[in-house]
Amino acid sequence: MIGCQDVLRELSNYIDLEVTEELRRQIEEHLRACHNCTVLVSTTRKTLSLVADSRILELPGDVSQRLMARLAAQWS
Amino acid sequence: MARASDAELVGRARSGDRECFAHLVMRYQRTVFHIAQGILANPADAEEVLQESFLKAFQHLSEFRGEAQFRTWLVQIAINEARMRVRKYRAKLHDSIDERPEDDERFQPRDLRDWDPSPEERVAGEEMARLLERAMQALPRSYREVFLLRDVENLSTEEAAEALGISVSATKTRLLRARLMMREYLAPHFQPRWHRRLLQRWIGARGTI
Repeated sequence: MIGCQDVLRELSNYIDLEVTEELRRQIEEHLRACHNCTVLVSTTRKTLSLVADSRILELPGDVSQRLMARLAAQWS
Repeated sequence: MARASDAELVGRARSGDRECFAHLVMRYQRTVFHIAQGILANPADAEEVLQESFLKAFQHLSEFRGEAQFRTWLVQIAINEARMRVRKYRAKLHDSIDERPEDDERFQPRDLRDWDPSPEERVAGEEMARLLERAMQALPRSYREVFLLRDVENLSTEEAAEALGISVSATKTRLLRARLMMREYLAPHFQPRWHRRLLQRWIGARGTI
């Protein structure tokens, strides 16, 4: 049987699907009985999905044009 | 050309084809900018790092060895540029130069309420982006770097480890801490699930709030 500290230690690997089949089964068995760990897994997943959906990835204003201009100046 | 692999573009850029290098710039400028912005928390500095990184990459393209991925190599250059600036600022403040979090220190999650962003919060792009930026800036720098590479820029664990010059196991430890700290930071900004369920039931019964 694994405990809450084991789930915490393996949380990232579990979310990234980087645990063995056996460990995954044990974690899921633990999650069925442990509310706190279920919340921990679910809210960590939500955190990552918010980051993935965010506009954090956009490049502001004319940063790109200025970069190309600097390179062009260097090359000329 | 836009579909050419990095290796093809690098090969042609090495023989002097600047247009091919420009394609690599277009492909990775966002990645480099966001890594620099994440480390420095200042758009003007991040832009300088962006320009310096591509200028250096072009100058040193002949030193790039094909075994590594171009992206990893470029990210390495950007991280070094950004760290150099951090060191410069810290030296001015007579502060310690490197931040070394204890990788064996345990981080225990405290906030264990379940929460959900509402559909309105999910689409409030600017506001959400600002909240996530603040959450990332609250991370210790070495955790923030790993989080940026893995969860914002989607590098693999191995690529992130190589770019940061740390082991895969240290990368994983820092990533776990970073994710837990991000989660902890965001939790108070969203309504707990039970709150939302109760509200929905209330609206359902009365037709209005």
